[in-house]
Amino acid sequence: MNQNTMQKTVLHAQQVRKSFGVRGNVQQVLRGIDLRVVEGEFVGIMGPSGSGKSTLLNVLATIDKATEGKIFVGDMDISNMKNAELSDFRRKKLGFIFQDYNLLDTLTVKENILLPISLGKMKKAAAEAEFQAIAADLGIGEIAHKYPHEISGGQRQRTSAARALIHRPSIVYADEPTGALDSKAASALLGMIEELNRQRNITIMMVTHDPVASSYCSRVVFLKDGMLYSEVYRGSKTRQAFFKDILNVQAVLGGDHVDSV
Amino acid sequence: MTLFELVIRSMRKNTKHYYLYYFALIFSTSLYFIFATLQNDSSVITASIGNIQFSSMFNAAGILVLVIVVVFMIYANSIFLNRRSKEIGLYQLVGLTHSTVARLLITENALLGMGALLIGVGGGALVSRLFVLILMKLIGIENPVTLSFSGTAALQTIIVFSVIIGLTLVQMLFKVYHTTLLDLFTANRQGDHPKQPKTVLSALMGLVGIVLIAFGYILSAHTLGPNLFLQLATILGSTILGTYLLFRVTIGWLFFRIRKGKGGQLGLKNSLSLAPIMHRMKGNANSLTLITILSAMTLTMVAISYSLYYSAESESRGMLPYDFIFENNEQDAKSFRAELDKAGFTFVNRPVEAIRLQGAIGQNEEGSNLLLLGAEQLQANGRDIVVPGQGEAVWYTGLRKALSKELDTVAFPQAVDFDANGVQVKLNITREVDRYAMNYSIYGRQLIVPTATIRAIREQMPASPEYEAIHIDTYKIADKNEREAASGIYAKVVKGNKLSPDFDTFYKASLRKFGLIIFIAGFLGLIFLISTGSILYFKQMTEAEQERKSFTILRQLGFGEREIMGGIIRKQMFVFAIPLGIGLMHSMFAVKAASKLALSDLTFPTAISMSVYTLIYFVFAILTLVYYRRIVRAAL
Repeated sequence: MNQNTMQKTVLHAQQVRKSFGVRGNVQQVLRGIDLRVVEGEFVGIMGPSGSGKSTLLNVLATIDKATEGKIFVGDMDISNMKNAELSDFRRKKLGFIFQDYNLLDTLTVKENILLPISLGKMKKAAAEAEFQAIAADLGIGEIAHKYPHEISGGQRQRTSAARALIHRPSIVYADEPTGALDSKAASALLGMIEELNRQRNITIMMVTHDPVASSYCSRVVFLKDGMLYSEVYRGSKTRQAFFKDILNVQAVLGGDHVDSV
Repeated sequence: MTLFELVIRSMRKNTKHYYLYYFALIFSTSLYFIFATLQNDSSVITASIGNIQFSSMFNAAGILVLVIVVVFMIYANSIFLNRRSKEIGLYQLVGLTHSTVARLLITENALLGMGALLIGVGGGALVSRLFVLILMKLIGIENPVTLSFSGTAALQTIIVFSVIIGLTLVQMLFKVYHTTLLDLFTANRQGDHPKQPKTVLSALMGLVGIVLIAFGYILSAHTLGPNLFLQLATILGSTILGTYLLFRVTIGWLFFRIRKGKGGQLGLKNSLSLAPIMHRMKGNANSLTLITILSAMTLTMVAISYSLYYSAESESRGMLPYDFIFENNEQDAKSFRAELDKAGFTFVNRPVEAIRLQGAIGQNEEGSNLLLLGAEQLQANGRDIVVPGQGEAVWYTGLRKALSKELDTVAFPQAVDFDANGVQVKLNITREVDRYAMNYSIYGRQLIVPTATIRAIREQMPASPEYEAIHIDTYKIADKNEREAASGIYAKVVKGNKLSPDFDTFYKASLRKFGLIIFIAGFLGLIFLISTGSILYFKQMTEAEQERKSFTILRQLGFGEREIMGGIIRKQMFVFAIPLGIGLMHSMFAVKAASKLALSDLTFPTAISMSVYTLIYFVFAILTLVYYRRIVRAAL
């Protein structure tokens, strides 16, 4: 913890609540979440179905609005921003990797990746250099001019990752990025993300239900019924050891999960 | 839920979606009914217009309405069926048999179609009076005409449209019975993926498209030769094929070059316009070609009709520069003058001295009647006539450029010799003018010479059979409103002599003819416009649904509604403006070719009708934008 406070806080959520439904039939999905993510962290969010993982991600990613609470990204308070400001903020400061890639079918790999910086004032040559760098890191330089339907799932997800990183966002949100991949492609992708996280000091928050995927993280936060249940740090542990830790927490968590749903 | 309840539910849902389709259907039914009524009940119209041809004109118009309605309905229906594929598949998935689904669709469509048909006929009956009023206004007839409900017309309309609705039902049956479930569920995801075009071949094909269109244009600029039909067919074929290639290859190739030049940095606007258009170019080539050709046809038809109507007066003036003339008939002229004085009309009466004699223009020509007119006397009437120099003449051919084939062989200046009683006169024709100097009804080719020449000829040539001195009395009524009454007086004086038409009668007759044509062409054009606009709208509606996912992605990535709409506006600009632009160009050349048959300048009326068309056309573009906005808004 000491080490963390010294580093820059990238994301800070304070007592975030989210409820759905109209009066009389309100369902609280998030019941007061406090979370702090510092620069360069690779945070995994786990929890059983219905625990509020995706809602939390959506709220933190400004795609959805919190009912109560404050969310800071850097030193910006995003909980009171208007829709247009939020869009702008999302485009400039956040990166997204989705489970089903969310690439535009009509654009090539390169065009998809360069889309987020298309509205910016970046020079052509600079954008090209940026693309070459990220494409080399993710190993997709070869397929730059192919369309999404012509490449494999793993390549698509790497394209999606490149798109999330091209504009150097403050934080990257990944929602089940390996959900649609086979285990080989999944571990290849996670290895690359881990590598990028270390090399470029990118802050990443990943929602997943796969303990293998979350074992690549530096910290895993467990949610249960809309509240923080527990968290484990990898520290200097090996991935295998960290994986066991995660499984242990999950076993406890999963035990009463059956009743809670 | 019974089948009938299901039908009612899906009908309610569908009318909300396809209101434009039903509007177009009702409108065309109404119009067909009105045309049929006018055709069947032409007694009223015939009485006022006095020409039996009009019945067949309405008949032809009705057939054109049917053709476009068939194309439109089959096309729209196939779009809707594609859109509803998933629904049809779902019905089958939950266990409805083919025949039940077919019954459901047929009941629904038959009910909607019959509803539209009844509303169309009823509405047509109600507004037919308005249409007749418009027609009467156009052709310049004041007295009101009543139009009774025609049972024959109603029956004809109902039979014809039932057959068309039957066609769409067959189409539906085909869809239900001959498509697999899997196809039904993936129908919406169809769309070809843009491939890198084989550069050399597609560049070549794209060029061929442009060359074909250019060839059509050039051919249309040439004077229509003896093989008129062949030439027209070649022009049409070459232009249509060229247009298809333009959409299928040229534009795709062009877009591909542009996109390649961007080097992957496409930008949001192009990602939302260029990329999806390229994505669908193959599938859209047919419909865009159809829309372009229909637009071009409609534009040409409307522009020419409106031009004819608009220039009816100037065309008549070109034929009949004087309101009334008397040839060698001073007695009638005098009594006419007296009658005009009595009626208190203001008029200008001037005599024109002329000579009619035998002569030949050009080497290869047989001798024919030439009419020499004194230029100064014509000029005295305040007309724009240049007095030729001594020994010179100007030929007022009165012939439209396109029809004056023989002129191509005559080079100016051209000498003419007259030979009468041993006396020879030489005249040099310096140029030709495509108007008449004297009313066309007078016999002989009109040559304008200085009045001195006329006098000289009269003195030099004693009376002989080859030579005839002519005295023409010309009348021009100052006040337009008095022309009609004067025309009545003239008819009495010349005792209905058909050989001496007067301006007013001629003008009114052509106004009637062209008024009827613009009436028919205008409403036909409206139907064509609504059909093509609707087809584009439906296609865009479907595309918008298919692109919904992209909008969601873009909004998640942080692109605002406004930025996305910016890209969509650009796409709609392309989708609507490209067919319209090409259609406009086609029709401009067609009008240009046709304008050679007219005496007056058609630029202004053509511009007007094209602007009106463009304005209405863009209403559909705005409708699609509204639809897109709704989808983009709901995307996140």
